[in-house]
Amino acid sequence: MKRRDFLKNASLASLSLPFVSNGFSMQAISKDLFDYSKNAEDRVLVLIRMNGGNDGLNMVFPIDQYANLMIQRPNILIPQNQLLNLTSDLALHPKMTGMQNMFNNGKLSIIQNVGYPEANRSHFRSMDIWTTGALDINQTSGWLGRYFDSTHPNFPADYPNANFPDPFAISMGSEVSSTCQGLMGNFSHAVNDPFNTSNLLLTSVTNDGTYYGSHIEYISTLINQTNEYGAAISSSASAGNSLSSMYNPSNPLAVQLKYIAQMISGGLKTKVYIVNVSGFDTHDSQVDQVNLAEGSHANLLEMISEAVAAFQNDLQMLGLDERVAGMTFSEFGRQIASNGSFGTDHGDAAPIMLFGNCVNTGIIGSNPSIDNQIDEQAGVPMQIDFRNVYASILRDWFEAPEASIQALFEQNITYLDILSGCSVGLAEQEAQKQKPLAFPNPTPTNTTLRFQAHGEQYQIFIMDQQGKAIAQTFDGYLSSGKQELAMETSKLPAGHYYFLITSTNTRELVAFQKI
Amino acid sequence: MLLSSLFSRSFNYLTEDMQVYTGPWTKAEAAHLLRRTTFGATNQQLLAAVSNGMNATVSSILQIPFGDQPLAYDAGETIVPQGSTWVNAVYPANQTQNQQTENARFKSLGAWIAKNMNQEQLCIAEKMAFFWQNHFGVTASAESRAMYHFLNLLRQNSLGNLKQLIKDVTVHPAMLLFLNGSTNNVFSPNENYSRELLELFSIGKGIQIAAGDYSTYTETDVAAGAKILTGYTVTGIRSSTLTQATASFNPILHDNNSKTLSYHFNSQVVSAAGATEYANYIDVIFAQPQVAKYICAKLYRYFVNYDITPTIQTDVIDVLAQTFIANNYEILPVMQQLLTSDHFYDMSVRGAIIRNPLEMIMGALNPTQTIPNFGLVGDYQTYISIYYVADTMGQSYIVPPSVAGWTAYYQEPAYSKLWINSTYIKKRFDIVSALVYTGVPIGSNVLKMNLLGFLNGLSDPSNAPQVIDDICDVFFPKAISIADKLTLKLILTGGLPDFEWTIQYTDYSNDPTNTVVSNPVMQRMQALMNVILKMPQFQTI
Repeated sequence: MKRRDFLKNASLASLSLPFVSNGFSMQAISKDLFDYSKNAEDRVLVLIRMNGGNDGLNMVFPIDQYANLMIQRPNILIPQNQLLNLTSDLALHPKMTGMQNMFNNGKLSIIQNVGYPEANRSHFRSMDIWTTGALDINQTSGWLGRYFDSTHPNFPADYPNANFPDPFAISMGSEVSSTCQGLMGNFSHAVNDPFNTSNLLLTSVTNDGTYYGSHIEYISTLINQTNEYGAAISSSASAGNSLSSMYNPSNPLAVQLKYIAQMISGGLKTKVYIVNVSGFDTHDSQVDQVNLAEGSHANLLEMISEAVAAFQNDLQMLGLDERVAGMTFSEFGRQIASNGSFGTDHGDAAPIMLFGNCVNTGIIGSNPSIDNQIDEQAGVPMQIDFRNVYASILRDWFEAPEASIQALFEQNITYLDILSGCSVGLAEQEAQKQKPLAFPNPTPTNTTLRFQAHGEQYQIFIMDQQGKAIAQTFDGYLSSGKQELAMETSKLPAGHYYFLITSTNTRELVAFQKI
Repeated sequence: MLLSSLFSRSFNYLTEDMQVYTGPWTKAEAAHLLRRTTFGATNQQLLAAVSNGMNATVSSILQIPFGDQPLAYDAGETIVPQGSTWVNAVYPANQTQNQQTENARFKSLGAWIAKNMNQEQLCIAEKMAFFWQNHFGVTASAESRAMYHFLNLLRQNSLGNLKQLIKDVTVHPAMLLFLNGSTNNVFSPNENYSRELLELFSIGKGIQIAAGDYSTYTETDVAAGAKILTGYTVTGIRSSTLTQATASFNPILHDNNSKTLSYHFNSQVVSAAGATEYANYIDVIFAQPQVAKYICAKLYRYFVNYDITPTIQTDVIDVLAQTFIANNYEILPVMQQLLTSDHFYDMSVRGAIIRNPLEMIMGALNPTQTIPNFGLVGDYQTYISIYYVADTMGQSYIVPPSVAGWTAYYQEPAYSKLWINSTYIKKRFDIVSALVYTGVPIGSNVLKMNLLGFLNGLSDPSNAPQVIDDICDVFFPKAISIADKLTLKLILTGGLPDFEWTIQYTDYSNDPTNTVVSNPVMQRMQALMNVILKMPQFQTI
C-alpha cells in the first residue's frame, strides 16, 4: 500500500494541530528519549561468542510453529509444557530461567532470525563474516577494529598512553579477538585472569630447573613487566568489586563475567569485552535421549543464562547497569530438521540476545515460519542482517555518527532501535519500569503496546518523525492497571514512528520502528 | 688449574660427554641439531634429518657451499649497473657520489647477509660465519668492499684452519683499518690490534695474576706483538681507480729488531722476518694449548650453552681442545666431534640459548619458507629492512657493539638473556604481529608469512593435533605440556571439534585458490602462529 492510500484510509484529518497546540515539542521529547545522562565514553559492550553454531530453535521456541517443528525435529523437540514462556507465542529453553526473569524485568531482548544473505555453512568462513562484519572475502579487519581505527588511526603506535591507558577491548581467554583486528594492530588484549595478567603468556611457563627453564621464566617475567596493559588491568581488577552472590563458581562463563564486572567497577576504561563459549557444534547428542530438556546444548544454555543473570544482578548492585550492554552471537544457526544422532547440522539464521538495562526490551522480528514440508538441509531464513545490528550498536551505544558508521560497512545500513531503551538518570530508573513499551520493536508486522492505564478514556495515535499524526489506533475506556493493546502497524511503510497515548491526565510517547 | 687439567689427560681420552651420541634419533634430536646449526628448518627438513640419521646429517651440515656476491640495487650506486656486483668495482671520484655509492653498497651488503640467512642451504655456513664475525667484532668502518671480502673470508673458511684464518685476518684490509694496523709502524707502534689478537682472537685474557700479567700473556707480549705487526698499510680505500682496498707491506715501516715474548710463550724470541713475521708470531701463539681451549670454550658458548662448569671444562672443552690441537687447528673435526657428542644432545642443554634477533626473525621465516620474491630490488629492499629490524633489536651484523662482539656471548652472568629486555621483547612481538597478520610493508611490496604453504608442508595438515605436534617440533626446543598443546589446538580449530578443522582444511585443499575456503584456514593459522611466535619457548633454541 502506498503511503498516500494509507493516509486516505486513516480517518485522522486534523490531528496534528491539537497535538502541536498542546505544547508538545517533538524535538524535546525525542531528545529526552535518546539523550543519555551518562556519557557514551563510559559505555561498555560485552560480546558473548557462542562458538560452533547455536541451534536457535532449541533456545528460543516459536510456539506458533510447534506442530511443524515436531514434524521436523521430533527426536529433539522439548515438550511444549516444559518451555518457559516469554510471550504468547515465544518461549525459552527450560534451562534458561535466569534469562526468562531478565526478560520479564525488561533486561533482555531477543532479535529473531539474524543472519546474512547466502549463508556460508563453514564455521571458519562464517565466523570470519561475523567477526569482520562483512561478506567481502577480502575484508580482514574486524567490525570493531575498523570502528576503533576510525577514531584512533595511529594505533598501535604510541599506545597505551596517558589518554588511553587501558586496552580498547579485552578478549577473555588466550586469543585476541578477530572482531577487534584493525588495520595495523589488534585492539583487543587477551586476558585469562585479570588478577594474574601474564596475558601475553597464553600457555604455562614452568621453570623445570634447566637453563631453558630459567630462560623462559626470565622472558615471561619480562613480558609481564613490559605489559603496561597487564598492569592497568590487574590494578583495576584489584580495585574493583563484585557484589552478587548469584555467580556460580563452577560456571566458567560466570567466572569470566565476574572478572569483567570487577574490571569495569575498578575503573578500567576498556569499551569492549569479548567472551567465548565453545561447544555449540552439536551434530550429535545435542539433547539427552531420555530427557530432551537435558543434554549438551541445555548445559550450554544454562551456563549462559545463569552467568548472564548473575552478571546483570552484579551490575545492578554495583550501580553499573546503565553502562553495560551485552550481546550474544554465533556463526550460524542450525538446520530446522534434526538428524538421526539427536543433533542438528549447520544451518543459517538464528536469534541473538541483547541484555542490559538499556536494551529496548521485547522481541524484535517475527517468529520464523516452519513449514510441515521443508527442503532437505533447510535452515532458518535470515530476516535481520547482523551487520545492521552492529551498526545500530555503534550508533545507539557508542554514539558514533551515522556517516562514520556507514563507512565501516558494505551494506546500506538500516538501523534498528535496539539499545535506546535508557534515559538513564538514576532517578528515572523507577519511572523507566513503568514506562510504556511497544513490542516487538522494531516490528515487521503488528506490535503490542503495554502501559499503565488509570481508568479513563484513552486515544492512541501513530505519529511520524515530524510529529504528525498519521493514524488513530485506539479510542476507548481503559480500566486501571497494566494494559496490553494490539496495534495495527503492519501497513505502515518502514520507518521510525511514535505511539502517542493520550487521556485527560496522560500524554506519553513510545518510539517504535517498522521494518 | 685449567692448564694442569689439560696436561693430566692423554690426547685420546674421551669422556662420557664426548662419546658419540647413540641415543634415540627422533625429530626432537634432529630439530635440536638444526636449531643450533641453521637459521631454521622446515618440518620436511626435520623429517629428512631423522631418516638420514645423525652422522649423515652432521656431515651434510658441515659442508660449506660457495656463496654468491652482493648485487647493486640502490639508486645510490653509480658505478656498476643494477644487478651486478660491486665487490670489485671502483668508487666515484666525486666525493658526494663516493659517499652515496658507499651508502648503497653498505645497504646491499646488509641485505646480502639477511638474504644468505633466509635462503641458506641446510648447513652451518651462516651460523659459523656469524660466530666468526662476533669473534673478530669488525665494523665496516672504511668501505663495504673490504668488509665484503672480510666477511667472505670468514664464511668460506669458517670450518677451515683457524691458524691460517687468523693470519689472513691479521693482514686483511678490513682488520688493518678497523684496529689501526694500517697506522702501526716502527715510528709510532699502535698496540690496538696486538692487544685484541691476544685478548680476544687467539689465546684469550686470563685472570690478572700480577701487574701486567693476565695469566696467558703479559703487557710485554702486547708491546712486542705491536712491533711484530708493524709495516702494513692499506691502499685503495674507496678509490676511483683501484678495484680493491689492498694491504701491502712496507719494509721501511717495519720494526726490524728481534722481539722477546714473556714467559707465557717460553720467552721466545721472534726474529725480524719482514712481511711474514706476523705469521711466525701467530705460530708461536698457537703453540700454546690455551688457544685451543679458549676457542673451544667460545664455540661451546655459541653452539651449546653459556655455563662452563669445571666438569664441562674438563669433560667437554678440554676434549674438544685436544681434537683441535691434534688436527693442527682445523675447525671441522672439532665441530664434527661436538655435534655428534653425547653432551650436545643432553636434555640439560636443550633450549639453553635465547635466540639472537636474526635467529628469532629467521626462525619465523625459514621454517615457513617465507622468502621474498619481489625481484632484485624488492628482494634487496626487503632484506635490508630485515637487517635493520634486527639492528633495532640489538644485532647489527656489520656494526658490532665492540671488538669483543655482542655481550650476549661473553657477558656474565646473563649471556643470551641480554638479547631480551622490555624494549626488545616488544619489538619481537611487533614484528611477529606484522609478519603474521598485516605483513611488513616494504616499498610497494608486503612481506607476509607463508602460512598456508607452511601448513601444507606439515605431515598431516588436516589433522589438528598433528598440526600442533609438528609446529611444536619446529618451533620449540622442548616438548610443551599436554594442556598447552590443547590450548594451541583450540586456537587452530577456533574451539571447534577437530573434525571441523578437517572439513575446513579438506575444502581448502580441494579448492586451494578459492579464498572463501582458504581465508578461514589462513585466519586460523594466523591466530595460532601469532601465539606460537610470542611464546617464551620460541625465543630459545
